[in-house]
Amino acid sequence: MSARTLTQSLAVMRKELRDGLRDRRAIFSLVFGAAVGPLLVGGILTFMAGRVRDAQDVTIPVVGSTHAPALVQWLRQQPGVTVTPGPADPEDAIRRQAEDVVVVIPDEFEAAFAAYRPAEINVLADSSRTAARPKQQRVRALLSRYGSEVAALRLVARGVSPSVVTPVRPIEVDIASSQQRAAMIIDFIPLYIMLAAFTGGMLIATDATAGERERGSLEALLVTPASRRALAAGKWMAAGVFSCTSVALTTVLCVLVVNRIPLQDFGVRLFIDQWKVAGLVGVVLPMCALAPAMQLYLSTFAKSFKEAQSYLGFLVLVPMLPGLIGSLAPIRGLWWMYAVPFLGQHLLLADIMGGKPMPAIHVLLSVAATAAVAVGLFQGFARLLTRERIIFGR
Amino acid sequence: MMQVDAVRKQFGAVTAVDSVSFTVPDGAITGLLGPNGAGKTTTLRMLYALLQPDAGQVLVDGIDATLHPQEAQGRMGVLPDISGLYPRLTAREHIAYFAELQGLSSRETAARAEALITLLDMQAIADRRVAGFSHGERTKVALARALVHHPQNVLLDEPTNGLDVMSTRAVRRLIRQLRDEGRAVLFSSHVMQEVSALCDHIVVIAHGRVVATGSPDALREQTGHHNLEDAFVALVGLDAEADA
Repeated sequence: MSARTLTQSLAVMRKELRDGLRDRRAIFSLVFGAAVGPLLVGGILTFMAGRVRDAQDVTIPVVGSTHAPALVQWLRQQPGVTVTPGPADPEDAIRRQAEDVVVVIPDEFEAAFAAYRPAEINVLADSSRTAARPKQQRVRALLSRYGSEVAALRLVARGVSPSVVTPVRPIEVDIASSQQRAAMIIDFIPLYIMLAAFTGGMLIATDATAGERERGSLEALLVTPASRRALAAGKWMAAGVFSCTSVALTTVLCVLVVNRIPLQDFGVRLFIDQWKVAGLVGVVLPMCALAPAMQLYLSTFAKSFKEAQSYLGFLVLVPMLPGLIGSLAPIRGLWWMYAVPFLGQHLLLADIMGGKPMPAIHVLLSVAATAAVAVGLFQGFARLLTRERIIFGR
Repeated sequence: MMQVDAVRKQFGAVTAVDSVSFTVPDGAITGLLGPNGAGKTTTLRMLYALLQPDAGQVLVDGIDATLHPQEAQGRMGVLPDISGLYPRLTAREHIAYFAELQGLSSRETAARAEALITLLDMQAIADRRVAGFSHGERTKVALARALVHHPQNVLLDEPTNGLDVMSTRAVRRLIRQLRDEGRAVLFSSHVMQEVSALCDHIVVIAHGRVVATGSPDALREQTGHHNLEDAFVALVGLDAEADA
């Protein structure tokens, strides 16, 4: 690239950047595209953390507490438990979702309890409400613990060791579902970072190609002695700058979100240190060259800005493909897969998030292959600008 | 100086331009006159090397535009048929952008932008974004960006199309000034009065062919019509078309 070509492409880049920074749509696509993933992760995790805490600090409405004063007393002594008088119509309260769970102690409780017959307690809940489920589980667990404590006391009173009736004691290793779900949501972070590479430069890429043609400014631009390659390079760099900005923004937001949310509530330990961040950005960075090159190439075929936009809308699905396929059948990382753009990044990002070691050859393969495809698409884009059919429309 | 030598351009089965030859000398205004669809724009596009002729040759100051398009383009200032602007850039930014692409230094760029803004009487709008500009204002910006590098050869595709009287006069004044500076000016039009008021030479083109060349007086003589409009109608065979 000669000095003159370089000066010209830098001029094009500066113009496209200035144009893009003044374009509200371009800024919106950059900021919104970068923020939506981290905000989603943050929002869902905060919501889930709230539910986990809700289950630990539980308020139990009890109807008929006078029938079982000992039970109510015991409940009150449990940490995080508050007992309140239950609603007049418990079923209606559940149906209206005024209460998540209501404990109803029937009149016969005292008599049955005193006669050593199983004393029934009604736990009213709507099992279809996922949001109320942790609380319902906590209430059931409390009641059954009370049951076993009373049983143990009764056995001791009869001179029988409670361990006699505990032939098997399962030790529960609690892999709570909320933990899994939290981990799943965090697994989306690499995908959001990849998507940011696409959303960041999208508007610039369409405006600089299809938009240029639609406005009728392309002809005047191509009549200048700047080579097509210089023009193409300037547009590529401008879209790349937006794409990189978007990736950086998403990464920073994701790190902020993950470090802000008390993930230990879920029993999830996630450690995003600067090395992990550097790895994530390093693996995605070649995408900031590939995504704009793809977008520029495709939008050059479009006659109008809107047509280009609809093409590029589909393009955003491409980085999601490996994740989709992987969710159906797990992808085992064979060496050649790292040389496939998108798939390579998908595997490497999963390795980084999982804290697995990354062989340098895998990183090298992915970066080199992605860069090569990006350069190829760029050449194609520059060549399209020399075609009479493309310049003057079809 | 620009020379067009027997160029031909075909789009599919349609021959848009067929063996068109003419010369645009320095220090003169040459008018490319023809009805809509005659092949004016196609001819100009071959001249400024965005279309490749299927046959024939285009020379710009002796440089073959097909073989060395960028060198040829550097010697031309072009106002294309469709001259879109960037709505979010100001008039001055348009001029500066094209100055950079033409290889002007930043000092030259600033001075040249100022000179063009004065020349085209754009002081009041120079630093406004072009989004709200009138048609006349837009044409001025497009002209300024075409002339930013002092091109020896100037090609204007229907520059006064749709302009009001004041803007038209400003453009005509500019065209005469360019001629007086010794530049080769080629401008296309389908408006008779325009051409007769401005041009030293006229190339009449119809159905992709040159049907007549010469000074306005010579054309009147050739056709035997005292009125140039009648001469034009006779030359391009519009009579025959109207009858058909």
